[in-house]
Amino acid sequence: MATKRIAVIATIYRYLSHAQHFADRFFVGYPYGGKWNRPDCQLVSIYVDQKPEGDQSEDRAREFGGKVYPTIAEALRCGGDELACDAVLIIGEHGEYPDNEKGQKLYPRYEFFKQCVEVFEADGRTVPVYNDKHLSYSFDKAQEMVDDGHRLDFPILAGSSLPVTYRLPDVELPLGCKIEEALMVGCGGSDPMDYHALEAMQCMIERRAGGETGVKSVQMIEGDAVWTAGEEGRYSLGLLESALSRSDSPCGKTDEDGRTQDLLGNGELPGLVEKPAAYFIEHNDGLKTTLLMLNGAIRDFTFACKLEGEADPISTQFFLTPVPNVTYSACLVAKIWEMIETGKAPFPAERTLIVSGALESCLTSKVENHKLLETPHLSVEYQAPAESHHGRF
Amino acid sequence: MADRPKIAAITTVYHKYSHTQHIVDRFLEGYGWNGRHHRPAMDLVSLYVDQVDPDPDIDRPDLSRERAERFPQMTIYPTVADALTLGGSDLAVDGVLLVAEHGSYNRNEKGQHLYPRYELFKQIASVYRTTGKSAPVFNDKHLSWNWDWCQEMYDISQELDFAFMAGSSLPVTWRTPSLEFPLDAEVEEAVSVCYGGVDSYDFHGLETLQCMVERRKGGESGVKWVQAYSDDKFWQAHADGVWSRELFEANLCRSHTLKPARPGFNNPFPTIDEMKQLVEKPIAYQYEHEDGLLSTMIMMSGMVEDFNFAARIKGQDEPFSTQMYLPMPPARTTLANFFSPLVNNVEQMFLTGQATYPVERTLLTSGLVIGGVDSLHQEQAKIETPHLKIAYQSTDESTFWRT
Repeated sequence: MATKRIAVIATIYRYLSHAQHFADRFFVGYPYGGKWNRPDCQLVSIYVDQKPEGDQSEDRAREFGGKVYPTIAEALRCGGDELACDAVLIIGEHGEYPDNEKGQKLYPRYEFFKQCVEVFEADGRTVPVYNDKHLSYSFDKAQEMVDDGHRLDFPILAGSSLPVTYRLPDVELPLGCKIEEALMVGCGGSDPMDYHALEAMQCMIERRAGGETGVKSVQMIEGDAVWTAGEEGRYSLGLLESALSRSDSPCGKTDEDGRTQDLLGNGELPGLVEKPAAYFIEHNDGLKTTLLMLNGAIRDFTFACKLEGEADPISTQFFLTPVPNVTYSACLVAKIWEMIETGKAPFPAERTLIVSGALESCLTSKVENHKLLETPHLSVEYQAPAESHHGRF
Repeated sequence: MADRPKIAAITTVYHKYSHTQHIVDRFLEGYGWNGRHHRPAMDLVSLYVDQVDPDPDIDRPDLSRERAERFPQMTIYPTVADALTLGGSDLAVDGVLLVAEHGSYNRNEKGQHLYPRYELFKQIASVYRTTGKSAPVFNDKHLSWNWDWCQEMYDISQELDFAFMAGSSLPVTWRTPSLEFPLDAEVEEAVSVCYGGVDSYDFHGLETLQCMVERRKGGESGVKWVQAYSDDKFWQAHADGVWSRELFEANLCRSHTLKPARPGFNNPFPTIDEMKQLVEKPIAYQYEHEDGLLSTMIMMSGMVEDFNFAARIKGQDEPFSTQMYLPMPPARTTLANFFSPLVNNVEQMFLTGQATYPVERTLLTSGLVIGGVDSLHQEQAKIETPHLKIAYQSTDESTFWRT
């Protein structure tokens, strides 16, 4: 197989930006499966939307080949007349972009993607596309991106590292399982970190019987109403205990003197969380899921769900490996490379599409007085891959 | 035994992030286990602390008094014997935790930390002898810094016939990926790359190795010799292939903390020259087992901050490798949750009277640490170890954390 020619389309390229730690791995190799993988590829072009202090795009082009081009079309064509790369990495994370009224950072992923599609259509050829993180802050735009992939028949791999990182413990829900309820606990700001948490939950629940059926309604609530909702059974306190039991980073008394804590049972939880938020997502098949963002109480991402017929919940932590290696991104690069080599995405972009849309609607609920929103537009149906793709090799 | 076993904790010091805090707190406060907040089905009723600094303003003040106040079922006793007899004359507990890591104790000329594990153990054994009764003992980390004392501790446990478990969290913590070392594998060579200091984390690296290679065909057969390599001799040995370069590199491919040698890159693979710049004092302990297997524990402080393992297994194209993951506070976590599977194994011993894995592993690794330290002290000479002819069989099922 010929050496794959990679085009990198990024908002910015500097140390510890997503572009740096994802794209670099293609050219310096990455650890996965117990060896240092050196994919047979070369950097042929880079486009960066912004060049902040510490920009590395020129350095990378100099070291790994290729050029920095002033437009996306030129980068995909390597300055020539037609598409001249074998894969495109769109990494639109980090950089200075405005927020909208819902607090969403308006990264130009859709705009980047559409410029790639224009080249594909004009030149009559397509190549696989990796889109880092969610597809767009707008579901309509995200839908158009996925539709373009189907219409022009090119694979899209999208999303976050959480679905593919190591799990503590290494659990996978049985394909076709019946889920009674699922709950995710996360931390960090909106909208970057709630996206990660929602996608982590989605990669688990999509394995349920019937597959994903789409999202029927969403609601986001904040403040003390989150605790009231728990007491009223809007989400399962048992699942919350289970998710919290998987955390390695309870705060408060643990910060003070190292003690272990039953954060829910000892009553410390509400006092620790600075601004609790609950994202309620009801699916078309009736499954109810909840994301609790518990900043101040924990610093990791954990999941719990109750399967029909099972006495105990299943729970795990999505292991975000330490900075600066962030080896979880190596797990994702292994999957991107799999797509580039085989021409097939290992998991469907519909996962990212539905999470992009659910997040957008939750944030709409937030600014519309936390009301419940029916979401008929989120009827995204898909089947999970039978194979597991997280770090288990 | 009463419905709920009574447990005594014999410790050196009780402050934040001390081993005592990690272990005893889990008995008192419970801990996350199998997806819930688990509370051990036993009562920690007595505590002995060898060193208590009364100054509340020191960096890590004593916590034993605060814990005793919040958990009135636990009484602090002034002696080991009192803790075991609850101030009476008869053994009054059903299990003993011996946690003698941390605290102000001297080092000897070889750099060994003279923690009083043996001395405290002897006081426990003395109560057992006097009362004619015994209870299972868990000894945190290695047995002693002195080989004869290690052997004596083991022999006493055999003589008095009580369940005895010891060792580090490394054999029982999470693995990334979560892989079981195949039982009865024919192992051609094993290497662990980790970090830390002499007579400290070297023990953890050796436990990492042993909990894997003991599963090989025939079980553990004991160790013939151990030799340390450091500084220039280390790099020369590395270049000469004294240990497998392939296995060394497989270890690095399991690390989550490979220090970037090049500015601006977050996860490049270092060249040999870069490794030499990163690692001021590389140290290896290599040892040959009685059945011929060669194992090497390598500490690369400055380059990695985790515990990795790789082995060449006969008939497999690629090395077997994984990481024994320690969620280590305060940088990465707030809880040292690798103590949870350790405590859980100890709980099982206290409930059943049976050790969940053989103490011979830790007898051997204790001897290997001493051998490694001695070799370093004797200009990296090869140390013959006829006393380490310790044969044992691993448990069929590994006891590492995967639930």
